[in-house]
Amino acid sequence: MRSTLVIARREIFSFFASPVAYVVLVVWLLWSGFGFALFCENYASNLSMGGSDNPLTMFFGNTILFFLPTLAMAPALTMRLFAEETRSGSVEALLTAPVSDVSIVVGKYLAAMVFWCALWVPTVLYVWLTSRYGDVDLGTVGSSYVGIFCIGLYYMAIGLFMSIVAPNQIIAFVMTFLVLGLLFVMGIASFVLPPETRDVVSAFSIWSHMEDFSQGVVDTRYVTYDLSLAFFALFASVRALANRRLA
Amino acid sequence: MIAVDHLTKRYGARTAVDDLAFEVGRGEIVGFLGPNGAGKSTTLRMITGYLAPSSGRVRVDGIDVHDEPEKARARFGYLPEGMPLYPEMRVSEYLAYRAALKGVSAKAVKHEVDRCLDAAGVSVAKPRIIAQLSKGTRQRVGIADALLADPPLLILDEPTSGLDPNQLRHVRELVKSFAGKKTVFLSTHILPEVEASCERVIIVRDGKKVAEGTMDELRSRAVGEQHLILDGRGERGAFERALAGVAGVRKTTVESSTEGSTRLSLSLDPGDATVDAVFAAVVSSGLSLREMRREESTLEELFAELTTTDPGAETTEGADA
Repeated sequence: MRSTLVIARREIFSFFASPVAYVVLVVWLLWSGFGFALFCENYASNLSMGGSDNPLTMFFGNTILFFLPTLAMAPALTMRLFAEETRSGSVEALLTAPVSDVSIVVGKYLAAMVFWCALWVPTVLYVWLTSRYGDVDLGTVGSSYVGIFCIGLYYMAIGLFMSIVAPNQIIAFVMTFLVLGLLFVMGIASFVLPPETRDVVSAFSIWSHMEDFSQGVVDTRYVTYDLSLAFFALFASVRALANRRLA
Repeated sequence: MIAVDHLTKRYGARTAVDDLAFEVGRGEIVGFLGPNGAGKSTTLRMITGYLAPSSGRVRVDGIDVHDEPEKARARFGYLPEGMPLYPEMRVSEYLAYRAALKGVSAKAVKHEVDRCLDAAGVSVAKPRIIAQLSKGTRQRVGIADALLADPPLLILDEPTSGLDPNQLRHVRELVKSFAGKKTVFLSTHILPEVEASCERVIIVRDGKKVAEGTMDELRSRAVGEQHLILDGRGERGAFERALAGVAGVRKTTVESSTEGSTRLSLSLDPGDATVDAVFAAVVSSGLSLREMRREESTLEELFAELTTTDPGAETTEGADA
């Protein structure tokens, strides 16, 4: 348990010492800030809109464009985790330390979840801004963040797995991007598929996932899906790590 | 302390380590010698559990490295080849991280880091960023890392590569200072390295063990002949006459002969007696000596002979280092 935290702490330190962290955070901040400004503008000029809709719900759930960058952000956050150690060779010191493979994987995963959460910290500002000019339903905001956290659980797990199996960061990035992209495309296929298959693919859909969560609906089916995918990716990561020793 | 049994590692069709077996006893300082590509690092990686063997087993302090990896890994400190470190960290931060990873309690970390930096002779590097360290300093930070948590066994892969002569001497002395306190297993392709700090040596070639023994045992195995350089006052003919009758002198070569002064190179039967006989013969002929030196090349020759695939092929790196 202690070694897990020691590994996570070092990983977080290294991440925030690297330029990748700041590039990702700045790009994301610009993108999300621009998006939020657009929604506010939209509301300001469109008085007829109302009901459960507000800029925050729209920000967190109602636009697909908003989630496209996360497909590239997530791999950028996770690509270093293992691939960098593989490239530099420091992985040899890590894997010969008296710690289990599970501790190593969980430690790196915890660090990745911290990166993911760090990405969303600035959005609290939008909540605060909205609250100054209108009513904010904190329950809805809370469920939005729960939804984002759950998506992060499997985004980061898949990224971690790819970083273990990939020989370098670029390949880790591309493979994570492809898998997340595939899941994303499967999800939005619910728009074009006939009704009977629509339900199946919408279960994969980040779009409908966040649409629900941003309106305060915490659907346990989505949570179960997120958790199972994360668990599976982490399990595969531990196996992949053990497999490296056989190479 | 280390028991290696029928250890084999195959990479596809290539066999990097081939049915290797040896033991390293508690408190011993053992050199693992072989030319580059002999399978030294692969063997060390299997001992440390970084790589799984294709077959065979490794026990460290009686614990199987693959059955109880974490327990076994707590028994040794390992310096990987080239000592890759996290470039963005400070030396103190890196070692504090490693100490915590090795189970040193939070309270003791600071003291432990200082102790190991001091032992490795790199206390001055403590506040520096790893990316800016010279190779020699990095290497010694790596040694400090291996010393953390005071393991009974040290496994060092090419511990002196990249060091300048002063650092080299320091590391050799450090290794020697462990005699009786820690078990040290170090790999190298440089013979003088082993002669300087090890009590026993295991020589490998193409993944197979070709020789094993104490330095003295190997020296006596290095049969053949010894070489002697003589330089003295006297005519060439006088030296040749004086040495002609001495038992054990196989060959006398005059290297240079100027007026009244001669330099010779002799090939002798092994042993001290023949050297004594040469001295006595020279002196009793009324000649005087300015230099009489034994060329300590026997181990080098043995190493070259053991580790070169065909005689006459390019010499191995170890032989000319």
